[in-house]
Amino acid sequence: MMWGFRSARTPALAAAVAAFTVLCGLPLAYMLAQAGAAGAAYAVLLLDARQRALLLNTAALGASTAVLATLIGAPLGFALARVPLRFRSVWRVALAAPLLLPPYVIALAWVYLGGSAGLVAAAVGRDVVSAWTYSLPGAVVVLSLVFYPLSMLTTEVALRRIEPRIEEAALTAASPGRVLRTITLPLVTPAVAASALVVFVLAVSEFGVPSLLRVRVFTSEIFTAFAALYDFSRATVLALPLVTLSFVVALLATLLVGDRLLVTRRGGGSASPLAYEGWTRRAAAAASGVMVIALVVPVVVLAREASGVASLAAVIRGSGEAIRTSLALAALGATLVTAVAVWVGYARGRASRRAGAAADVLLIVLFAVPSTVVGVGLIGVWNRPGPLGSVYGTDGMLLLGYLARFLPVAALALAAGVRYVPASHEEAAAVGGAGWWQTMTRIVLPQLRLTAVAAWTIVFILAFGELGTSVLVAPPGESTLPIRIYTMIANAPSAEVAALALLQSGVVLVPLALLACGIAARPGR
Amino acid sequence: MMRIDRASLLAAAAVMMLAAACGSPAENPERTVTIYVSTDRVFSEPVLREYEKRSGVRVNAVYDTEETKSTGLANRLIAEMNRPQGDVFWSNEPVRTLVLKSRGVLAAYRSTSANGIPDALVDPDGYWTGFSARIRVIAYNTRLVEPEEAPRSVFDLADPRWKGNAALADPRFGSTSFHVAALYAQVGDAKMDDFFRRLKANDVRVVDSNSTVRDLVVRGEVRVGLTDTDDVNVAVENGDPVAMVLPDREGLGVPVMPNMVSLVANAPHPDEGRALIDYLLSPDAERMLAESEAVQIPLHAGVPGPRNLPSIDSFRPMTLDYTKAAARVEEVTLRAAGLLGL
Repeated sequence: MMWGFRSARTPALAAAVAAFTVLCGLPLAYMLAQAGAAGAAYAVLLLDARQRALLLNTAALGASTAVLATLIGAPLGFALARVPLRFRSVWRVALAAPLLLPPYVIALAWVYLGGSAGLVAAAVGRDVVSAWTYSLPGAVVVLSLVFYPLSMLTTEVALRRIEPRIEEAALTAASPGRVLRTITLPLVTPAVAASALVVFVLAVSEFGVPSLLRVRVFTSEIFTAFAALYDFSRATVLALPLVTLSFVVALLATLLVGDRLLVTRRGGGSASPLAYEGWTRRAAAAASGVMVIALVVPVVVLAREASGVASLAAVIRGSGEAIRTSLALAALGATLVTAVAVWVGYARGRASRRAGAAADVLLIVLFAVPSTVVGVGLIGVWNRPGPLGSVYGTDGMLLLGYLARFLPVAALALAAGVRYVPASHEEAAAVGGAGWWQTMTRIVLPQLRLTAVAAWTIVFILAFGELGTSVLVAPPGESTLPIRIYTMIANAPSAEVAALALLQSGVVLVPLALLACGIAARPGR
Repeated sequence: MMRIDRASLLAAAAVMMLAAACGSPAENPERTVTIYVSTDRVFSEPVLREYEKRSGVRVNAVYDTEETKSTGLANRLIAEMNRPQGDVFWSNEPVRTLVLKSRGVLAAYRSTSANGIPDALVDPDGYWTGFSARIRVIAYNTRLVEPEEAPRSVFDLADPRWKGNAALADPRFGSTSFHVAALYAQVGDAKMDDFFRRLKANDVRVVDSNSTVRDLVVRGEVRVGLTDTDDVNVAVENGDPVAMVLPDREGLGVPVMPNMVSLVANAPHPDEGRALIDYLLSPDAERMLAESEAVQIPLHAGVPGPRNLPSIDSFRPMTLDYTKAAARVEEVTLRAAGLLGL
C-alpha cells in the first residue's frame, strides 16, 4: 500500500464515502425503513403472474435497448475518437443532441410519423406501420435513439484515454479491422459495458415512452402504487424487483467484463492513428444516417407539427425565469455532483478487485431507484424541524435531488476514468516524496479532466430534464423549465406540445454547443 | 507558505453556491400563501395572479397535473404531513381530494363564498368545496362520424360498431378514475364488470392520458373517445375536426366533475389560506375559468357559462355520493384495469 492510513487519503475518501451515503443512501434507507414499519408491504413482493409478465417485458425492453443503443453509439464513439472526421466537434454535438430531447417527445414524433393516421399512412394511403410503432420493438428503437449518445460519449472518452501507440504498433502487422477487434475493442469494453448498464437502467425506469406506445411494463406497477393508491410502502417495495433486475444485470456484466488491466497514455500524440483515414467516408455516412434518423426526422416532424401553433409567444415570454433557474441549477448541480463523484470514483477505482465490483453493482442499484421514491425519501429526510428543515423549501432541495439521483452514474463514469490512470504514476510520486493530496491535484485529477467534463455534461443534461424528483421537492412559487413545460402541455394541442419540447431542447443545446465549440477551439485539442 | 490548490477553491465555491441557493425563505416579511394546484397551470395561473393583484398577498404556487403522470402533489402533501408547507389544495378532480381527506391531510373550512353552490358539491364536514366543473365527454372525429351517429352513452363504446375505433385513458388515474368510480357506485359491480369485459372484447385502446385520447380522435386513429371537456375544447378552438357529446343525458345523467378546494391541516398560513379559498369560490374566479380555454362550467347561478358548452341547468347531472364513490375508488379502478388487461 503506497499511502499510509495516516495520509490525507484516509479522511478525504472517508468524507467522500460519508457524503455519498448521506446524499444517495439516506433517502432510500428512509423509504425502506418506512416500508419495513408497514410490515405487510413486503407481501406484494410475491408477484402474481401478470406482474411477472410485466417484469419480463421490462427486462426485454431494457436489454434490447442497451444492446441496440450500444450497437449505434459505440461505433460512433470510435469514429469520433479515431477516424479523422472533419468538423468533429460539430458531429459530436449533433450526434449527442437526441439525448437532450425528452424521450416522451421523441416517441410522440414517431407516433406522428408512424401512427395509424400518421404521415407514413397518409403518404402510402393505408396504415402499414402502426402495428410496428405501437410495439415492444418500436419502444426499443425509440429509447435506443434517445440513449445511444451515452454509449457514444463514453466510448469516445475511453478511446481517447488509450495509448494510440499500441494500436499503431499493431497496425504495422495487422489490418485496421483486426486491430480494432483484437486490441481496441477489448480495451474499451469495460467503459462500453458500463454505459450499456446505464442505458439498461434508464430504459427499465422509463414509463412515458412505453405507456405512449402501449407497451406494458413493470414501472406502471410502481406508478400505480404512487398515483392511484398513494401507498409509499407498496411503491418502494415494488421498486425492489426493478432494482434487483438492475442488480442481476450489473452482476452479470461485472462477471463477464471483469476489471481489465488497462494500458493508457498521457501527453501528446495523435488520438487518431492515421491508418483509420480510409474509414472516413464510411464513418461520415454512418454518422449522417444516425443523425438523420435520431435527430433530423423527429425534429422536422415536431417542427411541422409545431408550425400551426398560435399562442406560444405568451408561454415563451413567461418562461424566462424558469429557463434561467433551470440552467443555473443544472450547472450548479452538475458541478456539485462531479465534485463529489471524483472522490467516490477514485475510491472505487483504487479499490480491490472484489470491493470494486461490489461498488459498481451498488452504484447501478442506487441509480435504478425510481425518481419518485427518491423524491418522497428526500421529503422524509429533510422536511423536519431544526437545521435540516432550513434547507427544505429552498432550491437546495433540487440540488440534493440531483445529487441523490445522479451521483451514482457520475461516480461510475469517474471510476472508469480513474482506472485509466496508471497506479504507477501515484507510486512514482509517492517514491519521489509527494504527499497524497499533492499527487491527486498534480497528477491524478489533471488526467481525469476529460472524464470529468464528460460526466459533468451527462449530469447537466440529466439534471436539466429531471422531473420525477424535482416536482416533489421544488420550492413553492418556483419551477424548473421541465416542470413548467410539463404542467403547461397537459391539455395543449399537439402543436404547442411540439413547440415547447423544441424550446426545452433548444435551451439546453445552445450552451452545450457553445461549450463544445469552446473546448474544440482550445489549443492542443 | 500555505498553498491553496484549485480543488480546494472549487470545493469552497461549491459550498458557497449551495449556501446561496438555499437562502432563507423566512427573510421576506411580505404576506404569502402557498397553494398546491393540480388544475392545469395555463388555466389556474391567471386566476392566482389576479388574486395577487387584488389582495397584495404573494401566492407561491406548486403546479402539477394528472396528465404528466408525475404523481406530484397528492404524494407531496402526504409526505409533508408531519410539517406541512402548503396552505391550500386546489384539485381539478374529486378523487385526490377525497383520498387526502381520508388520510387526514386536510382541515375543515366552510367558506361563505360557497353560498349558492349546490349542496351536493359541498362536503357536509367542510373538508372540501366544489367549484367550476368539467364534464366527462365523448369526443368524435367530425370527418369520420356524423353527429347523429355519435355515441350517446358511455356504454355505447362497447357496441361492436366502434370495434377498434374507441379510446379511453387508463382507468386507474386522474379524471378517468373518478368517472369509473362514479359509474361503479351508480350502476353496480356486475354491470360495470360486464361493460369493461365488452370494451376489452371490442379492442378499445387504453392510452396514457385524456389528451392522448383527444389526439387519437383528432388524427382519426380512432373515431370516438372518452375524455374531458377542456381537452376537447382546446382542439375545437384550434379548428381540429372534433366535436363532443355530453353522454348519458337520458338515463344516468351527465358526469360532472368539479374542481375542489381545501384547506391543508396545520397550514403555515391558515388565515391567508382561508382568504384565498374565499376568492377561488367566488363568482369572479368561476367567471375567469369559464371564459378561459378550460371552459369550466360555473356552479354559482347567474355566472355566464362557457361559449362552447351548455349551462349546467340545461342538462341533468349524474347524482353522486362522493364519499361513497371515493370509498371504493382504488378497488374498482384496479378491477377495471384488470378487466382491460392492463
